Amino acid sequence: MLRYTLQRLVAACFTMLVIIVVVFFVLHSMPGDILDLSPKLDPAIRQAMLSKYHLDEPLIVQFGYTMRDYLHLDFGYSLKVRPGVPVFDVILERLAITIQLNYFAAFFILPVGMIFGITMAIKKDSLYDVIASSVVILLISVPSFVLAAVMQYYLGFKLEWFPLVLATEHKLTWTKFYSMIMPILALSFGSIASIARTLRAELAEVLTMDFMLLAKAKGLTYGQTITGHALRNACVPLSATFLYLFLGVLSSSLVIEQIFGVPGLSKTMISAINGKDHWLTMGIVIFYVMIGLLMAILADLSYGVIDPRIRMGGKKDE
Amino acid sequence: MNNDKTLLMANGQPAGDEIMNKSAEKFERFQREEKIHDVEFKTEAVSYIKDVWRRFKRDKVTVTATFIILIIVFMAIIGPGMSKYDYLEQNLALKNMPPRIPVLEDIGILDGTRVLTVQVSNLDNYADCIVKELDRFTTSSAFGKSEMAKIKVDIYKQRGAEDVYYWFGTDNIGRDLFSRLWQGTRVSLIMAFSVVVINLSIGLVVGSICGYYGGWVDLIIQRIMDVIWNIPSLPLTILLIMLFGSGITSLVLVFCLTGWMGTANSVRMQFYRYKNREYVLAARTMGASDIKIMFRHILPNAIGTIITSCALAVPNVVFQEAGLSYLGLGVQAPNPSIGMLLSDGQKVLMDYPYMILFPSIIIIALMLAFNLFGNGLRDAFNPNLRQ
Repeated sequence: MLRYTLQRLVAACFTMLVIIVVVFFVLHSMPGDILDLSPKLDPAIRQAMLSKYHLDEPLIVQFGYTMRDYLHLDFGYSLKVRPGVPVFDVILERLAITIQLNYFAAFFILPVGMIFGITMAIKKDSLYDVIASSVVILLISVPSFVLAAVMQYYLGFKLEWFPLVLATEHKLTWTKFYSMIMPILALSFGSIASIARTLRAELAEVLTMDFMLLAKAKGLTYGQTITGHALRNACVPLSATFLYLFLGVLSSSLVIEQIFGVPGLSKTMISAINGKDHWLTMGIVIFYVMIGLLMAILADLSYGVIDPRIRMGGKKDE
Repeated sequence: MNNDKTLLMANGQPAGDEIMNKSAEKFERFQREEKIHDVEFKTEAVSYIKDVWRRFKRDKVTVTATFIILIIVFMAIIGPGMSKYDYLEQNLALKNMPPRIPVLEDIGILDGTRVLTVQVSNLDNYADCIVKELDRFTTSSAFGKSEMAKIKVDIYKQRGAEDVYYWFGTDNIGRDLFSRLWQGTRVSLIMAFSVVVINLSIGLVVGSICGYYGGWVDLIIQRIMDVIWNIPSLPLTILLIMLFGSGITSLVLVFCLTGWMGTANSVRMQFYRYKNREYVLAARTMGASDIKIMFRHILPNAIGTIITSCALAVPNVVFQEAGLSYLGLGVQAPNPSIGMLLSDGQKVLMDYPYMILFPSIIIIALMLAFNLFGNGLRDAFNPNLRQ
């Protein structure tokens, strides 16, 4: 197990390195100049600025400087989006709202999705199951931004139940949470539907297994057999999805953030790329890649923890 | 069914020892040329594809979904030509017109009216085009109290265009939304289909090579795929679009960059599963070339999974393109796509909700139909997976 984890970590570091190289060179080969501030800028000042940031040196040397800083965990400063603020601080600051949104959504998605999945599996092929399954297919097919538009128009504009965009307060107050309800709902429905569908399929299969009969035969109640035996087995394929709910700060929330005016991390990244704020872009990309790689490793390890029958590090393909 | 050397008893069973030991003259030889008193099969042989087709058309939901897809594709082909107005033709005098459809307007829906809130003193301006007065109320503002009226106005009459019919209305520079919608559907579908075809070809070749040869070729390609897979898709997409510009071609390129790996992986798994079977060994012993073994003997096993994943990939591309359009990274301006129309409609959602209504219906219908169609295909190809 330890050996496998170490192997995966080393491979992840390698992947990370390659991605940093690729992103660095793609970023710096983009048309335009980091310092296209103003055409009236004095050439001497421009030259001074270029040499201060080592921008007049060959790309490979610049890459050397960048890597040296990264090894000292120095991610540089934002140049244009938040001038003079360390990249690390910008990320932390913008991450807060994205994390809040995703966590509230996750805490809403998990119980609701599980309840629907379990009840659908137990009442398989009943009228309830047929209706719920149709709703699930519908929710999977309706894009989140269409849902967001519908909610914004009816719940926000016509009925005036919820504010149209996110409150601008920095702290998490009641007003702020209240204005977060619509984005949370828009984010949740698709995930609820996909969790319910997967859980239903898995659970329905587990319920027909022999060990369920054994559990019943040794005197457990129906509830006990479901929670103690069936659910645990049905959740194995879902563990990656659960992890992703909590760790996947990236998710698909960018469009939702755009619609509801949320100043999240992904929005910052777009303005960083557009404004050629290369160090900020690099910082955010590194952050995302790190999360993604860690998540992949954790997901693989979690299979082994939940279901000890799955051996780690064996032959992959058979 | 029996060769002429075998001794048979009257009931067709092979002879046992005690019979074998009896003297030979009690038996007669059973010849192949003689008539065998057996019932011939009256049914036709059912091939795999025929079997799949039978299961496919039995499911009513799937057939309906297929019809919806066909209708949308058909409309995407002829739709832009059906309207009198070209999808690029601007008419600033008739901008933001609500939808108006000849027959439906008589029963009160899509009749080219809008509900406006105006001051009572201004009511005269709308005198001849008010359809109905809904409500009167007073509001108080910094300028004192003013009496307001909610009226339903026939916009077409107001603008003096009574014989004009914009079926789905017009946008903010007076372009016909009907032809724009179908042109957008056409662009989105063309993009989706080309992405699927490219992904399929790359995925098939790479997956087959990885799966069939294995070893260090597989290892290296897997590592490369690992790296591409782990680059977060959003920054990558934005970077590539900024490098190549946001045309249809570059969007297709962006979607293909990571898209082929799904196909490649599933093809690879199929190769690993089948390449050591006896029948493959037999084919190799008979001298079949690698190419023939790969594409004639192993690949057909994967055909169901591949077709299903292709059907499910189409709505995914439409969805992703729409998402990028919201961020201003979709197809270029005069050319519409479903995503462009949606994000344009989103900007004026409160005032002109009909602008987002029709593209929403189309994208939901597309996604729903393709998802159901894909599920139906999966069930037809592999009935064991039916849930």
